[in-house]
Amino acid sequence: MRILLAIAIASVAWLASGLPALAHHSAAAEFDSNKKIDLSGVVTKVEWTNPHAHFYIDVKDASGNVINWNLELASPNVLIRNGWKRNSIKPGDMVTVTGIQAKNSPSYGSASLITFPDGHKLSFLAAEEPAK
Amino acid sequence: MNPNVSTRVVSGALFTVFSLMAQPPAPGQKIGTIGLYRNQQLAPIGPAGKFADGTPDLSGAWLGGGSSDADISRALKPGDQVVMLPWAEEVVKHRLSKEDPEANCLPAGIPRGSPYPWRIVQTPTHYFILYEGNIHSYRQIFMNAKHPDDPDPTWYGHSIGHWEGNTLVVDTVGFNDKFWFDYKGHPHTEKLHTIERYTRTDLGHMSIEVTIDDPGAYAKPFTTVGRATLMPGTELLEYICQENNQDLPLLQGPARGPGGQ
Repeated sequence: MRILLAIAIASVAWLASGLPALAHHSAAAEFDSNKKIDLSGVVTKVEWTNPHAHFYIDVKDASGNVINWNLELASPNVLIRNGWKRNSIKPGDMVTVTGIQAKNSPSYGSASLITFPDGHKLSFLAAEEPAK
Repeated sequence: MNPNVSTRVVSGALFTVFSLMAQPPAPGQKIGTIGLYRNQQLAPIGPAGKFADGTPDLSGAWLGGGSSDADISRALKPGDQVVMLPWAEEVVKHRLSKEDPEANCLPAGIPRGSPYPWRIVQTPTHYFILYEGNIHSYRQIFMNAKHPDDPDPTWYGHSIGHWEGNTLVVDTVGFNDKFWFDYKGHPHTEKLHTIERYTRTDLGHMSIEVTIDDPGAYAKPFTTVGRATLMPGTELLEYICQENNQDLPLLQGPARGPGGQ
């Protein structure tokens, strides 16, 4: 848990500092670190692509309307080296996601932490440490 | 070069590459973080190796060593300064983040760093730098050769290399004026001339100094300093930035560093 927390803190700090999400654009130009998001929903699609992996989740808003959010992760290259697999998150998974929102899109964000119903977590950069 | 020596150098390079590929973590191999990457094998301690003919062996997957992606002026040789000519200062003021070629999946040029590993491949006549990032491209360095009189301007320019002791010196001219040195948009012109100096200081580290001389954009030359770290057991992965670059339409505002400065 301590490791998870460390990963979560590191990821949030990393996003907040706006360090190059992928070294191909300035994160500060795209995301507003003051617009926090906390979403729950079912994964509808995963794009295991560069320069960023993306996953999409259906989220019900306060009025009951379903919004399909597009959530960005680091690149598959970074994720793979940090323990993610291409199927670590899949369509049909129920997840809770915290992160920050894009400056000019109501349904686009950068996911800092993904929590699954069984409690395991994945971050923008890294997977949970394997059980030892 | 004597063909036998050539064969030896190539064989040596290939042997080293395959040795690294095949290398399982040795007992007691230390694990740690390298750049963004956790639980990586750390480089064993030891002196840098040489091929049988005495050529320093620069093989392996390396991380870092380029200039600051955020702002090229952040890591300079002590006493050096980035002094732009007035027109260049004016250009930087008006550049937008979304115009950065790197954000458009175009080359980051020299010496802009990236968080992805890279590799040098040494053959008798050509050295190649393979980049995982920097748009997953490559550079070729013509060893002990001369620049053409009037090279066509290109993103990575025309590079020639030679050894000065244990330091590989790469001299490049013939750049176009398109890539940006950093997120802030530091520009350059076709007069850009870079001199890179690569020295493998020990088995796990490479010192990299790059002198930027562009009288078209800067009042005086300056030199960036960096240090690359070996990532044993790592192979380069595919990175096709053009495939799903959804960020571009979302990038807002003036060119600036990742922290917004």
